[in-house]
Parts: sequence; C-alpha cells; structure tokens
Amino acid sequence: MKFFIDDLPIIFPYDRIYPEQYAYMCDLKRTLDTTGHCVLEMPSGTGKTVSLLSLIVSYQQFFPIKRKLIYCSRTVPEIEKALSELKRLMEYRIEMAETEEQREKEKNFMGLGLTSRKNLCIHPEVSKEKKGKVVDGRCRDLTNAATMNRSREDPGSVQTCSFHDNLGDIEGGQLIPQGIWTLADVLQYGREHGTCPYFTVRRMMPFVDVVIYSFHYLLDPKVAEQVSKEMSKDSIVVFDEAHNIDNVCLESLSIDLTRPMLDSAARSVNKLADKIEEIKTTDASKLQDEYAKLVEGLQEAAEDEDSFVNNPVLPEDLLKEAIPGNIRKAEHFVAFLKRFVEYLKTRMRVLHVVAETPLSFLQHLKDITYIERRPLRFCAERLQSLVRTLELSRLDEYNSLQKVASFATLVSTYEKGFLLILEPFETDNATVPNPIFHFACLDPAIAIKPVFERFSSVVITSGTLSPLDMYPKMLQFTPVVQETYAMTLTRNAFLPLVITRGSDQVAVSSRFEVRNDPAVVRNFGSILVEYSKIVPDGVVAFFPSYLYMESIVAAWNDMGILNEVWKHKLIFVETPDANETSIALENYRRACDNGRGAVLLSVARGKVSEGIDFDHNYGRAVIMFGVPYQYTENRILKARLEYLRDAYRIRESEFLGFDAIRNAAQCVGRALRGKTDWGLMVFADKRFARADKRAKLPRWINQYITETAANLSTDMALTLSKLFMRTISQNAGENLTGVSLWTLEDVERAQAAQRAAEAEADAAAAEQERVRAQAAAAGGGEPMDEDEDEDEYYAGGLSDTVLGAIDLDI
Amino acid sequence: MSTLCAARAKFKKLPGLLELTDTHLQWTQDGKKAPTLRVPHADAAALFSSKDGKPQVRLKVALFNDDEGHTFTFSAAQPVALNERETFKLELTNIVSRNRSTREASVLKPPTTPSAPPASTNGSSLRPPVPSSYATPSRAPSVSSDGRASGTPSNNPTSDFRLRKKVLVKSPELASLHRELVMSGQITESEFWEGREHLLLAQAAAESQKKGRPGQLVDPRPQAVDGGEIKIVITPQLVHDIFEEFPVVAKAYDENVPAKLSEGEFWKRYFQSKLFHSHRASIRSTATQNVVKDDAIFDKYLEKPDDELEPRRQRDQDVDMFIDLNATQEDHDETGNGQDVTMQAGKQRGALPLIRKFNEHSERLLKTAMSEGSPAKRRRVDSADPSDPWNHYSQIDLDDLHDPQASAGILLDMQDRQRYFEGRVGAGKSAEEAPRQAVDLTAALAEATQDLQGWSGNLAQLKIDRKAGEAALVSMTQNVAARLDVNKRKSASVPSFTGVADFMIHLLDDIPEDIFGQMRTCQTAANEFLRQFWASIYPPTSDPQTISAPATPAQKAAKAARMAGYLAKTPEKVAAIVNAGQAAGIDRQKIEIGMKPILDAVEKALAFWRTRKQPVGRP
Repeated sequence: MKFFIDDLPIIFPYDRIYPEQYAYMCDLKRTLDTTGHCVLEMPSGTGKTVSLLSLIVSYQQFFPIKRKLIYCSRTVPEIEKALSELKRLMEYRIEMAETEEQREKEKNFMGLGLTSRKNLCIHPEVSKEKKGKVVDGRCRDLTNAATMNRSREDPGSVQTCSFHDNLGDIEGGQLIPQGIWTLADVLQYGREHGTCPYFTVRRMMPFVDVVIYSFHYLLDPKVAEQVSKEMSKDSIVVFDEAHNIDNVCLESLSIDLTRPMLDSAARSVNKLADKIEEIKTTDASKLQDEYAKLVEGLQEAAEDEDSFVNNPVLPEDLLKEAIPGNIRKAEHFVAFLKRFVEYLKTRMRVLHVVAETPLSFLQHLKDITYIERRPLRFCAERLQSLVRTLELSRLDEYNSLQKVASFATLVSTYEKGFLLILEPFETDNATVPNPIFHFACLDPAIAIKPVFERFSSVVITSGTLSPLDMYPKMLQFTPVVQETYAMTLTRNAFLPLVITRGSDQVAVSSRFEVRNDPAVVRNFGSILVEYSKIVPDGVVAFFPSYLYMESIVAAWNDMGILNEVWKHKLIFVETPDANETSIALENYRRACDNGRGAVLLSVARGKVSEGIDFDHNYGRAVIMFGVPYQYTENRILKARLEYLRDAYRIRESEFLGFDAIRNAAQCVGRALRGKTDWGLMVFADKRFARADKRAKLPRWINQYITETAANLSTDMALTLSKLFMRTISQNAGENLTGVSLWTLEDVERAQAAQRAAEAEADAAAAEQERVRAQAAAAGGGEPMDEDEDEDEYYAGGLSDTVLGAIDLDI
Repeated sequence: MSTLCAARAKFKKLPGLLELTDTHLQWTQDGKKAPTLRVPHADAAALFSSKDGKPQVRLKVALFNDDEGHTFTFSAAQPVALNERETFKLELTNIVSRNRSTREASVLKPPTTPSAPPASTNGSSLRPPVPSSYATPSRAPSVSSDGRASGTPSNNPTSDFRLRKKVLVKSPELASLHRELVMSGQITESEFWEGREHLLLAQAAAESQKKGRPGQLVDPRPQAVDGGEIKIVITPQLVHDIFEEFPVVAKAYDENVPAKLSEGEFWKRYFQSKLFHSHRASIRSTATQNVVKDDAIFDKYLEKPDDELEPRRQRDQDVDMFIDLNATQEDHDETGNGQDVTMQAGKQRGALPLIRKFNEHSERLLKTAMSEGSPAKRRRVDSADPSDPWNHYSQIDLDDLHDPQASAGILLDMQDRQRYFEGRVGAGKSAEEAPRQAVDLTAALAEATQDLQGWSGNLAQLKIDRKAGEAALVSMTQNVAARLDVNKRKSASVPSFTGVADFMIHLLDDIPEDIFGQMRTCQTAANEFLRQFWASIYPPTSDPQTISAPATPAQKAAKAARMAGYLAKTPEKVAAIVNAGQAAGIDRQKIEIGMKPILDAVEKALAFWRTRKQPVGRP
C-alpha cells in the first residue's frame, strides 16, 4: 500500500498495516527530520524491521540528498533476514513504481550485507578452514598488497586467489549489478562469476545505499576503523535488536590475557626478531625505509583491507604524531615487546586476586621495566607497520601478539572506566592455577560515543528496551524521541503466565540456594512434562545458565523425568558447539513441521536465544525456567556494578533486575510473528510474581499479565493454558481490520482524526487563550466546558438513489 | 492378483518386500521391480518360525520339493515384526494344511519337477475348492500388520467381547453403569451396547492404528534383587533397540556369538562391562566406571566419551542461513572478556555425552518417522529448499497483513457435477420460488403513498383516550423502576444464583455422601432406561456404522414394554431415597427438588407409553 506521512510518500509492502507499525514509522520520521537520536521499543513479531526499512527507504528515495542507511543487527541470521526483507521491499517498490523513471530509480537502489571472510569465502581450500582466524590469515597471504605486487611483477611466482584477482579486472563500483543482494545471493553470484564475494562487498561499500552488518563493525574500533571509516556523517544509523548494545560496547574494548597466550606471544616476538635478522642481511633498505617513514609520522601506507593489527583505540584518540623514538627501530621495538611480555608473565605468577586501575598498572610497569606510557600507546600501530614491512605470512599465528599489543595500547590510553583484574584461579575452590588477566571496560558509553558524535541520526530499537530511560543513561546520550508501543490485539494472541510454585505448593526458583533442591528440580521437570503433553508441535525452554542447564538435564534424566517427555516429544539440547547446535535446531524444526513435536532446551543469553525465531509451530510455548540473572560472584560484573552506581547512579539491584528481565523477555518474545500467531509464555520462578520485576517487562507483555496469571501453581497454569489453547485454536472469526489491522482507509482516517484533533487542540488553545484574556479583563470567572453528546441516526433500508427515483407527490 | 498381506523382510541377508498374494508367496528385493522369488501356494509344505524370545523374527517356509525351503527375516521393529509374522503364519498355515490334505488324498504323487512353473496348471488342479473367503476379490489388500483383521473369529467389532472389555476398563463410569444394569440382569449385554457402537468402533480403530517408535532412550535400568545382586530383563525388543542404538554392540554380537560366547554369556558380560556403562544414559556412569572390572572382549569396543567442546563426529552439513549459529560466531573476531563460569557451555563435562545422545536419538527417531510418512506429507515437510528465495520470504512474511481475498481457495473436485446440480435445481425450485416473489418496490410504495394520502387530516383527527395514555405511561415508568431496582441489587452484590446448576449445587451442598451417591445411581440408571426406552420407540438411525441387525418391531415393542416396566418403578426408588434421607435428617424437599427432573422425564415417557399402548393393545 502507499500512503503519506506528512508529505512523505511511504510504500509499505503489504495490503494492511498494524497500528503500531504506523505509529512507529511516524516517530521514526520525526527523528530523521529533526536529526537526532531515538529509542523505540516495538513489540516482538509486529514487523519492526519491515516498517523501519520501508520508512527509511521511502525517505532515501524521496529526498534529493541521499543519506546512506547503516543498519546494524546482532547475528548473521538476523542480518540475512533484514536483507531478505529489504530485497522483498525493493521488489515491491519496483512493481509499484508509477513512472518508468521512478522504476529505474528503484532498480538502481543498492543494498549489501557484510560479514567475515570465513562466511563469505568461496576459495576451494581456504573456505574449508574451520577457524575464522585461519581463513583471515590465509586469505591475507593470497591477497595482500605485497603478494599482488610480486604477482604483477612476476606472474606465477606467488600463489594468489583467482576469485580476488578477477575483481581487479572489473571497474570499481561495478563489481556486482545494482539491486539488493543477500549474503546467500552474493555467494551465489561469486560462484557463478568467479569473483570474491568478500572483497566485492568490501569494495562496493562506498557505492551502496544500504549496508547491513553486525554491531561490531561500527562499535569495535579495531573493525570500525577499517570498515566504517568512510561512511558519511549524515548517514542514518540503526541498531536493531539493540537490547544488548551495552554489552557489545563493553566487549569491543575489553581483553583477556592467559598464560598460553603470553607464551605464544613470546614465541611470535622471537620469530619477529629472527625475521628482522634475516631481512637485515637480505634487504636492509626495507627497514631503513620504514624507519624514515615513521620519523615523518604515522601514515597508512597500504590499503586498509589487509591491515592486520588494528588500532583498538577510537579514532579521535588517534594521535597524528610520530611514533616515539625508542620504538622506531625494528629491533628496539622487538626488544620492547619482549620486555613487556616478560613483565606480564611475571604478573601472572601471583596467586591472589589483584584489581587495579590502568594508572596503577602503568606505574608499576614503569617502576619494574622502565617502559613509559607513550611508547606503549603506539604498540599496536607500530606492530602493524612492522608486520607490513616484514611481509609476514600466516598472520593468524601472530594472533596472541596482536592481543598483547592491543592490550598495551588500550591500557595506556584510558584512565577512567576501565579496570584490570588478575584472577589466578578459575573458580574459588580450584587448586591448579589457571591465571587470567582481565582488562575490563566498565563504561559502555566509551565505545558508542564516537558513533553518537559522528552520525546525526542514530536509531536504537528492539522488542525489549524497558525501562526506556535506562539506555540513554547508560550510553550517555539524549534521545529526541523515546517511545514504547503497546500491542493492539482483537484477541489475546499470547498468554503470559507466572508459575511460582509446583502442584505440591513448593515454590520454584532458580535462586542459587534452592535451585538444586530436589523438590525444585522435580517441579521444574513436571512443568516441562506437563507442557510437553498439552502443547502441540514445538516447546522451547530456556535456562538461566549453561551450568544450570547441563546439571538439570542430567538430573532430570536420572530422575526419569525426561522419560515422560520422550513419550510426547523429541528432545534437542543446545551444545557448546555452534555447528552441532545448528543441526539440532534444524532437526527440531523438522520435528515441529512433521508433527512429531519436539522440545528444545537452551540457555537465555546463549547462542540460540539471539536471532533465532520460534514463531508459529516452532514455538507454541516458551518456558523460562528461573530468572536469568548474571552470576553475581563474577568480579568483572561486580566492578561494573560499582562503576554504574558511582558514575551514573544506577543501583546494583536495579541494573541486575533490568538485565535479567530484558533477557527473559527477549527469550519469550521469540515466539510470535504476526497477530494470528499464538503462543504461551511461561515464566517459572516465584520472583517473577513480584511487582517490581514485572514492571521491568516490556509494556506489551506486561499489559497482558492478569492479576490471576501472575501467581500460579503448575496445575492452575495448565488449566489456564488448556483453556487458552482451546479458544485460540478457533478460527479468528471476528474481523481484525480496523482495530489491530489497518487498511489504507483506516490509516487515512486515523490521519484525518489526528489532524482534526490537532486543529481542535490549536483552536481550543486559542479559545482558552481568548477566554482567559476575557476573564482576566472581566476579572474572574472560570470558563465552563461544554460537553455535547450527539446521537447518530441511521437511515437504513433504502438507498439514496432508490429514494431519489421515487416520486412522492403528496 | 491381490495381495493378502505384505511386510518388509530380509531374504538371504538382502532387504526386500515379502508379499502373499492369492496364488503365490513372493519376495522382491529392494530396488527391483519383479519379484526375485515366487513360491506357488501349492508348494508350501511346512512352516517353521523362530522362538518369540529371539532377537530376530524369522519365518521358514519348507517346500515339498525342497526341505531347505526359504527363510525370511522380518526387518521391522520387534513387536511389529512379530505381528507381521503372525499374519503370515495364519494365512500360510491354512494353505499348508490344505496342501497336505490334498497331497495325502492324491496318493503320493511324485513331486513335481522343481523347474516347472506349477502355479497355473499343476497348482490349480491340485487345489481343493477354495474357501470363499479367499476367493472373493473384494477382500481389501491389507498392508497393515494388524492381527485383528484375520485373527478374531468375527470381523464385527461391535460384538467383540475383548473390545467391550477394553472400553469398560477405560471408562470407570460406564463400567459402573454396566455393573449395575447388566450384571444385575436388568438389561442384556447387547441392549447395553446398542447405541454405544461408536465407542467400540473408536476402540477398534485405535487398536488397529500402527504405533510409531516409542521415543524413550534405550536405557535398561537394573532392578535390585535381594542378596545384593542386580537383574536386567532382556526382551527381544530390548536387544533390537540396543543393536540399533549402539551399532558397536551389534558388531560385538556378530563377531563373538556364538563362536566365543554363548548368547546368555554375551549379555551377562555386556551388562557388566565398561562398554555398557559408557552407553548408559546417565551422568553417573562416569563415576561407576572405576568400579566396573575389565573385560577383555568388550573393552576392545570401548570408545572415548564424546565430551569435548566440539563433537567427535564433525558434520559438514549446509545449514540454512536463517538458523546458522556458526556464522554469527565467525562473523567477527572474538572480543571482550571471557564468559563467567556459569555461562561457559560444556563446563559440566559428564552431561555432554548425554546431551549429544539426546540430539542423536531424536534425530534418529525423526528420520524413521520421516521415512515412514506418506510421500505427500514428506514432500510437504521436505520442501524447505533453502536456496529458494520464496522459502525465505515465507519465513519473514506477516501473513495477516495480506488482503484475505488473495487466497485462491481449494477447488472442489466433484465427480458428475452436472447431475448433482441439476438434481438440486429440480428439488429446490419449488421451495425457492416462494420467497423469490420479491416485493415489487414501486408497487408497494405506490400503495404506501395511497395509504398516506391526507395524512395530516387523519393525524389531526387522532384522539387518544386519556386514561389509556396514562396507563401506558405508568406501566412504562414502572418497568423502568423495576429494571433500575434489579440493576441496583445486582451491583450491591447480593449473592444470587446465576443459573439452575449453581442453584442445584448450592442446594445439594449439605447432603451426605452416601445419600448423594444413591441419588446419583438412581439418576444414571433411570437415564439408561430412558435411553433404551426411547431408542426402541423411535425408528433406528440410518447410521451405516451400526452393523448389528436392526431389531424387528416385535422385539422392539417387547423391549419398550420391559423398559416401561423398569421406569414405572423409578418413583418408588426415589421415594425410598427420600425416606432414607429423611431418616438421616435431611429436608425431604431438597431431595425431591434434586430428583424432580428425572421424575418428570420418567413421567413423560410413561405418559407417552400409555397413550401409545392403547391403540396397540386394542386389536
């Protein structure tokens, strides 16, 4: 359908639209118009992505200045889904175009998705590698500038990648025809034309209208510098499924070092030293050149594409000054690195927990090794330059050294918002030391700050962002629009239930003290058994942690509980291996499709909880066993909570509750897509009954939790569920149109009503103003409101034309 | 040539399909079109089958000219295979005994030459007059292996005693009614079931349905016997499952039995071995491993537990991009601090083999289910071709946002359409014609106009009687006042009975359990009599399901009379209960109110009976 919001024509690829989609688009447009940031919470499964793309593409195509759309999502399945959505939207727009000229314009619209080499490689050997790092390393060996130069000078002397080489013959910007290409499409195109999909996308980035990639490509400075540097300032940035954005921010500036990594780094340093010695005898001029260049100042010599160690520091902190003298010479730098690695190794020998600020770390480092802060800051840059000069191959083997260099640069750059924690033992009762040196970022605002500063419109949206003011507080920005939408339903399509106790009245909870209590384990088990009996097709169960899931699955099996489940459904369980879990997931879906029915056991915050949909028969019931709190004994979390309290006045319990509930809501929200879909949402923990917990749920879920459904025992919940399923399985019958579903006329009517309301409000304001002026003049008297109640008369019966034709000569 | 029965069976270790047609026993190897082996019925001399306890279900057919005969191994799961074999045995036993008798009769004719195809010539001459049940081509080929079709003496499920028993066992209420009425001799067995045939048919249908594989894991749990010993009962089904679930045990069995170990010895040692403990679906198995003693034979087959983070068996299966978790993991470099101890997957190492076992077991079950399903269904389920963009679109589509008329609907494919509709038209014409005489609008209006001529004058002449007007107004006011009153009372939440049911519950609240029980029994019994009574009065339903022969009018009349007799006693019974209740100190009115509906119903039936009997009674 096509309609207008203000003057902007919107093409929406469906015949009808949900009222919340319309409201969402209006607010989005307001944000784009005012060039500010916004936070929008839209119920899961009500077509958030399609509304977003539909509005923004309409916006891009309508206004003469093209603003690029940078669309970020969390996972590859979500990226692929967004690309498919976009592709379908553009097909619809082309079909709907009114003039030939317009059609041409729609056809020229271009959108691509970017992911790693591992996911986009089609080289027959390299793509077989299991590890992404190895694929990166081997790909660089085949495609980097030095290799290409050598191959140009003396074809056949070095091995290159034909898929990459073929791209060189094509004119830039023409690597792939116009249109929308999903990741699968790009791979297919690459296979058909013998071109490299990864470099196709990378090199087409400046020419596309929409680019879709994961959060990290914009938030992680190491990646952002390569990939997102050239994005213009007026681009529209969207973070979809952004409920975990603070974690991505923290991740991108945190580093863990372990002893094996330091050992590997030490080996790499030695290898570097050997290589320098070797080059000195064969080609000393190279090192001379590098030295000269470094004296002049740090300049990017080669293409960005093959840079290896990227600067982990945000662009604004990049100092445009020369690398300090004491590490300019290659051998000096290697010695410097060696010393630093040795120092870290000694630190690891301590057998008690140490927590310190970057400043105190630097002080200690200086006292012991005389390493100054300034050269440390350039560690990552200097290493990159050296690696390029030496033309090293198989860079994946230098991975640990790269981490150490990034660590050095980060620790010497930031003073506030970071903490170093050395944990000599993995757990409190472990006896064999396995030290980990955590460099933890505590402040999510640091990583996202440049994004807010650089781009004029940043949209943060998800199905679960409640409470809305939390995100602006944590990420330190001021939104111009901040909105949450209720879900309009003509009948309740989902039933949220809170089970607080088993049928034996023993309270259920995943609280640490009681979670392994046999009564609780049995009651959790009987919830699963009973729901697998009454729910058709798929049931998904989420646990608060891997540790708990693995132990409870074993316990259930030994108690014979799972035998009961086997009678009704197949059981699939998330495993540590992503590929194995994907196959289990695929089988789970097939079991749901063929009617056998299955149960999927999985973990909130785990691999499956993000980006996989359990709509329709893939998830008729989602059960959340326990409240998915984080492990509060975690020292990094403790430090983070302390920081949030001191810096942003967010209380510990408030943050922990917020974090647990957003994850629970996220799990449970996967069950819906569209308003004819239905599902049960079971929260099994007595703590969900508390009002302060429920208040943190998104409004669209919370509004449907009735007082009775907020505190149930298992048998009561089952009765309600059966009743719900019996009613929901009836044909929808009643007409949804007009209430939870709008046709074009409904949209226009709503717009007219809104205009009228606005006009009325204006008039009323003017009137009030006038009355007040009069009253002031008259010296008192309150204006009275008049309430007119007009009944409507329906003529009914004969139509006007018939009546008109009748000759009533009275 | 129709197939009497068929089953999947191995012959000479090759998988194939064994079929019994009305002339031959034949076996077709998988993938071949023509049967590899055809044995005419007349050749079958004897039947041998493996004992029920054996892991493999075999059937041997010895021939007149070849004592070695042919051996078939049924390849379905144990219980199914046993059923299938029973079906074959039953059919073949008939044939064999027939053959034997003809042989004996034909005075030891020399056996026919083995190469000669005896089916048409020899066989037919030898064959005695075939029992009609076999000759009738109408018999449907039954591929399903239900023992019922040929096993029970009668094919009519409604008179099958076994089925009746099952239905009664399933429903305790019906059973108690049955006890009260049939066992006490008030009505006969067949009368009781009359009108309840659907229950029996449903039971028969449920029984004939082929069950899929049960989902449970193969996990024999030892039972403790006194004296500290443990016992595991090995059933053929268990053996079959173990072989399927753990191919390594099947391999061990093949290699060691009976050469090195006897069957019993094999299982005894297996259940004591580390191999068994590693196969047990329990996290405790890792702990017991240290207790179990070494076993030279079985330890060879021992594998390392599959408890690494990455599975031992890597699978390079292309996963749909929409659920590819690995792609997310490889989308960007790993960054950030490691997960805390609770969020590291696979920390509980002992659980990993178990979890993997779950996934594999489910996958295996799913595969068998998929291969068994009808091809149409499989096509629908398997059509998910990930390369098809439409498939991806359907996964992101919000179907309720499309206009509803977009769906084309399903065309009703009807045979002989024309005749159907023409027939309808003929019948419906006269009925439809009446309302079709639509009111002619203009004429009606003209009439109305005429009526309204001079309306102002008429209206002016209209005089309303004052009293009548006032009375009307007063009554209207009263009406409004009454409604207001009711509303008020409602909102004041005066406890009020919303329905008869509530009222009854309230009323019966304080009746003691035994009296209440008596009332209930009386009620159900009277209801049953009523049901029987009306069933014998009214013409029988033309339901094709009721196979039992319709009773003759005379029988029906006799039955109705008997029922009327029973019914006539009902008021007495009620009176007895009322008295008993009064003795227990309950308001007799309460019981009377409670029993009133049934008494009314009985009275109605009896009144009907009386009026009806008179014309019959007078010749």
